[in-house]
Amino acid sequence: MPDKSELLLGCAPITEKPGMDRAMRVAINRVRHGKKAATFGHQQAFDAAIAKLVRDIPVDEQLAEWFVNENLIPVVRRGWKKIVRNPVVIAIAIALLVIAAVTTYRVYERLNDFPGADKARRLLSVGASNRSVLLDPLQTDAAALSDLFFLKHRLEHYDVPAEFADFKTLGTRVFDDDEVHRVAQIWVKEKRMQFFLFPAEPDKQGKVNDFSDWRFVELEGWTGAVTQRNGVCFMAALRGSEKDLRAYLEKKKQ
Amino acid sequence: MAVTTKNLPQLYRFCFLMTGDAAKAQAAFQDTVREATTKTDAEEPPPDRLWFFRDARWRCIALGEQGIQAEPGMLEEVEIAPSAPAQIAQLTPEQLALWISAAPEPQRSALALFYLDEFTLVELLSLLEMKAGELSELICSGRRQFQAWLDSTIAYYGEEAHDAGQI
Repeated sequence: MPDKSELLLGCAPITEKPGMDRAMRVAINRVRHGKKAATFGHQQAFDAAIAKLVRDIPVDEQLAEWFVNENLIPVVRRGWKKIVRNPVVIAIAIALLVIAAVTTYRVYERLNDFPGADKARRLLSVGASNRSVLLDPLQTDAAALSDLFFLKHRLEHYDVPAEFADFKTLGTRVFDDDEVHRVAQIWVKEKRMQFFLFPAEPDKQGKVNDFSDWRFVELEGWTGAVTQRNGVCFMAALRGSEKDLRAYLEKKKQ
Repeated sequence: MAVTTKNLPQLYRFCFLMTGDAAKAQAAFQDTVREATTKTDAEEPPPDRLWFFRDARWRCIALGEQGIQAEPGMLEEVEIAPSAPAQIAQLTPEQLALWISAAPEPQRSALALFYLDEFTLVELLSLLEMKAGELSELICSGRRQFQAWLDSTIAYYGEEAHDAGQI
């Protein structure tokens, strides 16, 4: 039974064109330097002679006119409507739109960011991954914890704003974070909400600018409402949207 | 690869080898080109080079089934002789086309496409819908049969060829 290279040699190309299959090239090179070189040479000469005869096949004059007419097979020009309807083009367009929308959203988010927004987002991830067992149990009003933070931990102005002062606490802890530094974390009963108090971020000039309004940050389904007073940021965080937090802020205003 | 009218002479030669008859080859060729033009007008995907040969192949097979058929039978096979090129040089294209067109399918298509010296092995296998081993076998046995026919038709004496008979 002939091996693969012998089979390939049986249909070896009459003229070797560029882009020839590697296996075929190897088989031809091998046979040309082997014992069967003469037999293969006869085969090549045989094939070349027939191919020459084929090239000499006369073409009818009437038909030859067809070959001259370049417009016989018109080249189809694709209209823009056809291009737009192409599923590949549609898919690319949708992908580009999504990328543009995400980029615009990210840029817009960064433009509206306040100093300390990155710290706030980091604490949202802390809040999302924490369990209540990590905190020291303490049931009191949130407002009462300011004194505890000052007396026990020497944390000045770590005050819970009036909007959340009446909330009943479940536990609290103070910890050091590599980026945010001294953080006070409070768990409250209301909707498993968490409060974070942490040092404010100075701006590029090194100045700390307080803001009394509420600014929002979001991360993976968690939302935080942040305000900054006396160089300390307060963030109320919960699993939900900005709308859920606004309800508490507006209630207090009324 | 796009098809231009520059590729068409090879298409005609293919039809001629397949049918062995200029009138039939012309009919198959014209029908194929017309079909391609219709497709293009109907804004279907433009036919590629292989499409032309595939379409023409089936038209030629259909045309070959009309009229006188070659009798099926075992042909004698001999090894290729060193003198074969000189013997082939004595032939006319019409004689070659008659011999190829009388071969059974798919050997006829394989020989016609192979000797056009137009396609790569991959293209040949795609056109003929067969494996390399099958194609090789068809071509090799075709060569040996053709040599046997050459020996019986055109005798070769040294440098001189002697036409020993007619087809």
